[in-house]
Amino acid sequence: MNSFSKSVILSAVSILCTLHVAKAEKLGGELDSLEVRPTLVKPQLSLPTKLTEVHVASPGEFFVPPNVADIPNDKYGDMVRMGREIFVNTQISAGRYVGNALNCQSCHLQEGRKPYAMPIWGAFGMYPMFRNKTRSVVTYEQRIQDCFRFSLNGIPPSVDSPEMQALVAYSHWLSRGAPIGVELPGRSLPGLMRTEDPSPQRGEIVYTTRCAMCHGELGLGKKTADGTQYAFPPLWGPDSFNKGAGIFRVRTAAQYIKANMPLGQGFTISDQEALDVAAYIWIQDRPKDPRVGYILDFLLPRTGAP
Amino acid sequence: MPSKPVLFTAAALIAAGVIFGVIFWLTSRANDTTTFALLHTGKTIAENGRDGQPACVQCHGGNGEGNRAMGAPRLAGMPAGYLEKQLHDFARNPLKAGVTLDPIAHDYNKTPKIQVDLTALTPGVRRVDAMNAISATLNAQEVKAVAFYFSSLGYNFTAIPSDPETLARGEDLALRGKPEYGIPACASCHGADGKGYGNHFPPIAGQAPEYIVQQLNQWQTGARDNDQMALMRNIAEQLTDGDKINVAAYFANIAVSSTGGVSSP
Repeated sequence: MNSFSKSVILSAVSILCTLHVAKAEKLGGELDSLEVRPTLVKPQLSLPTKLTEVHVASPGEFFVPPNVADIPNDKYGDMVRMGREIFVNTQISAGRYVGNALNCQSCHLQEGRKPYAMPIWGAFGMYPMFRNKTRSVVTYEQRIQDCFRFSLNGIPPSVDSPEMQALVAYSHWLSRGAPIGVELPGRSLPGLMRTEDPSPQRGEIVYTTRCAMCHGELGLGKKTADGTQYAFPPLWGPDSFNKGAGIFRVRTAAQYIKANMPLGQGFTISDQEALDVAAYIWIQDRPKDPRVGYILDFLLPRTGAP
Repeated sequence: MPSKPVLFTAAALIAAGVIFGVIFWLTSRANDTTTFALLHTGKTIAENGRDGQPACVQCHGGNGEGNRAMGAPRLAGMPAGYLEKQLHDFARNPLKAGVTLDPIAHDYNKTPKIQVDLTALTPGVRRVDAMNAISATLNAQEVKAVAFYFSSLGYNFTAIPSDPETLARGEDLALRGKPEYGIPACASCHGADGKGYGNHFPPIAGQAPEYIVQQLNQWQTGARDNDQMALMRNIAEQLTDGDKINVAAYFANIAVSSTGGVSSP
């Protein structure tokens, strides 16, 4: 084969190759990558009838605490009644220890009975327990003290104070029949699936459409007509939990929101929406972490990990 | 003698004060006349009806205290915004209720995120034949006036006795709900005393127990479907007949009264 025919073949091949590449490039160029990219959010469509599917928990799945009418009429029963009164009406019955406008019942819904809302019957049998927060083994009383210090933004009652004894008595009565040291179903909070990173921008939309009706457009809660108590608890602002509280963590808040909010419609919000709205709540202003000094609180970036 | 700028500033301040005072007086006077006109219109419609329709007072009582035998609820002292919304929902044609949502656009670049807009739920319906016909004849201003008139009335509701076991069970449901079923307590939104909160959570104390049971039944059948975010509907759907009777007896056992009064419209 002479050099001429070689060169003709080579050039023909190269021309064919370039044509092929050009064709491929043209194909890719026709379809803008932005246009063919699928949306990352599962499209949902609300229809005007039967809009919300509610997660129906099988009631036999969860531990059922005893009835309030069955509190015994003796000194133990009196203590339990006092504990219940503190639990429901913390602002008045244990007001000297509370620094914000929340009650125990604000988070531990329905007098500490609701599964997946950190029920008392699920927690009582698990203590003493090692906690990562303090890197030590804490007793049930110490755990309640942390509730007062962080979630209620106040002063922890001492272990032998009547309020603490009453709260422990109430927890003990509420957990009657529950096993010790067993992780009961409905204990603490449910898990979250792996999601995208939380976005406060998307969370704001969820907040406005689903939360603002009760907690207010500004998240500062809504007060009763006489203005002494909150009918709907504040989510941020001076009357809310501080930056050291467990529910200040985005993930914990998202787990709580997913299982319990809006009231009576637990498990209707997606994990992504729960995380988004938790991130939106996280970026708002609230009392400082009591473990951090004022100067550090001013200088350091925000406490709490998302 | 003070200098000229000082005098000028003082004169300007006084003039501004006078002007603002006049404006405030005029607006407050206008507000008074609006209130009076609203009350007058509302009272006229409530007592005489409109276009040959029966008057409100025929069933709901001369002072809006309700009629237990007829199943007509108390209107006196209910929040004006709540009454207004109910009248609008009564007037809405049930066939036309709901919203048509466009199908999802194919150009995902233009609609990258589709949010669930729950306001789509809010135009609700209530099917009560008598009220559907009456409400359809009222215009928005008249609805506002009637609602404002009834919200300004006082009432005196005496507690309706019931047997202790029913009351105890009703109290259990009202204060604690049914946690293992995911039913929240009535008290968490309607208040422990059942006095309600705002325009979306009406008072349930001070209503006849038959009315409460009837409403819960209507939530279950879908004859009433006008709540925000289907909150009440989801709860009512899970209640048993016994629950309804117990909780209605509990709230009817609370005596409530009000002297009435006018808040700004």
